[in-house]
Amino acid sequence: MFRYTYNTLVYGHEPIEKGIDRLARFGYDGVELIGEPAEMDVSAIRDELQRHGTRASSIISIFTPERDIVSSDPAIRRAAIEYVRGNVDLAADLGADIVTFTPTACMKIAPEADLSDEWAWAVAAAREIARYAAQHGVTIAVEPWNRYETYLITRAARAVEFVQEVGEPNIGVMADTFHMSIEEPDIAQAIRTIGSRLVHVHLADSNRAAPGYGHLDFKPIVQAIADVGYTGWISYELLPAAGDVWGVLSGAGAPEFLDEYTEAAITHTKAIVRELRLS
Amino acid sequence: MTRPLGLSTFVLASPFSDSAAIEAFDRTAAFGYDLIEVCIEDPALVTADALLSNAERTGLAVGICGAFGPDRDLSHPDADVRDRGLTYVRDCIDLAAAVGSPHVAGPMYAPTGQTRLLEKPEREAQLNRAADILARAAEYGAARGVALAIEPLNRFETDLVNTVEQALDLCDRIGDPSAGLLIDTFHMNIEEKRLGDAVRLAGDRVRHVQVSENDRGTPGSGHVPWDEFFDALDDIDYRGQIVVESFLPTVREIARAVSLWRPVAESMDALAQDGIAFLRERFPRSAS
Repeated sequence: MFRYTYNTLVYGHEPIEKGIDRLARFGYDGVELIGEPAEMDVSAIRDELQRHGTRASSIISIFTPERDIVSSDPAIRRAAIEYVRGNVDLAADLGADIVTFTPTACMKIAPEADLSDEWAWAVAAAREIARYAAQHGVTIAVEPWNRYETYLITRAARAVEFVQEVGEPNIGVMADTFHMSIEEPDIAQAIRTIGSRLVHVHLADSNRAAPGYGHLDFKPIVQAIADVGYTGWISYELLPAAGDVWGVLSGAGAPEFLDEYTEAAITHTKAIVRELRLS
Repeated sequence: MTRPLGLSTFVLASPFSDSAAIEAFDRTAAFGYDLIEVCIEDPALVTADALLSNAERTGLAVGICGAFGPDRDLSHPDADVRDRGLTYVRDCIDLAAAVGSPHVAGPMYAPTGQTRLLEKPEREAQLNRAADILARAAEYGAARGVALAIEPLNRFETDLVNTVEQALDLCDRIGDPSAGLLIDTFHMNIEEKRLGDAVRLAGDRVRHVQVSENDRGTPGSGHVPWDEFFDALDDIDYRGQIVVESFLPTVREIARAVSLWRPVAESMDALAQDGIAFLRERFPRSAS
């Protein structure tokens, strides 16, 4: 039915081979990696994935003030596009299917330029990136973020408008239930709005902990994901309860996100899949 | 009357002022609310006289809520800065006492939007600074019959008090029974594992309740577990105010402060109308 992966971002400073080993141990089919091509030893990661009989599922793009698809500075816009192209190369090198895309720096909550200009820049950038990704067999997943992390695309319906305007076959919309729990009146309905354009999924509970540790009802959500015909990756992007997520991860980290949440997340979803008789 | 149902002036006019009072009170009464929650963004713009005369004219009760920007930092390392924050809270308490609000409500422990990563000792020191100064505010309020209703905010709006559990810890440190909690469903949706459990944990320390949908839209239009939340208010025998809060995305300062850039309802009038209709279904007018 689905394939399972987990965002290793939350493993913090731990060497990546430990994370790969953990995910293989708990029955994950893949490994979701943060895209920092300049800082990664790609061949070492590839060897480690092979050694564990697993693969990279998806590359998460990190957008910063220096890599902002809709910056008012054209040099920064170009740097952001080059960065995502680098993630596409990384995905191709590691056999990952998906590279994520959000057209603002993370935590930037107000536009710098005219909104219609920003939208047009974002569409043009996404089109260029999607065309490049197509040559490598990679799909681009547009991710709406919640209002505290972006202002441009916060809801599924807006993301659908965006990918329609981009108009490339290998760009779609991803669903992240933490963001959706803030922005969507009905998460399952929002997934149905995305429909066949759903290309990637992040499950996290209402408090960004592992599913089951908050108050979201995942049954209708998983049902909707199945109903739209999605058979791709189910990933878990779980993050500490802080505005400054990076600070927590670069500091002492968050031990519950290691074995405890890694095991709990996949167990929780697989139980629902069984209960709903989806497999 | 028990459980007066109210509307926040954030839905109507910002910054609220005496000159906005007539229209705001008229509209709130016409929507069918029992109460108007006046948010004191600038104390110089609001007088007790204006609130009282409009309250008398419209029959609305008045609640007082504070707004805590960077210039009102009650846990700042600098004592002079903290004292300026305390002066503001005392002004709000004086106004609350004058207009009959049982509380002053808000996230009064730190400026809204402050989200830093602090080491544990620094965090402890900040919490204790907040507790010390809020103890003075609580004492001032107690002498005037006004409680403090301290509001946990979600992780993106503060790094100090995100959950009911943390707010109770702050209240323990304050050590004055007139310091209690304001609980707000929008923030609880993000931070609490189970809303009902959080309400019951807060128990008789709940001084005030604000309701807002998971997207800040009309209560009842999203996925907040309302039955669980209201049942828990019954469990703790809460008899205080329930106030609909949202924000005008058209006011740039507010939009920036709460990261709300898109309309979350068809119109603010629709939000106010649908909000009271939703609450009245659960809390019918008591026979008077």
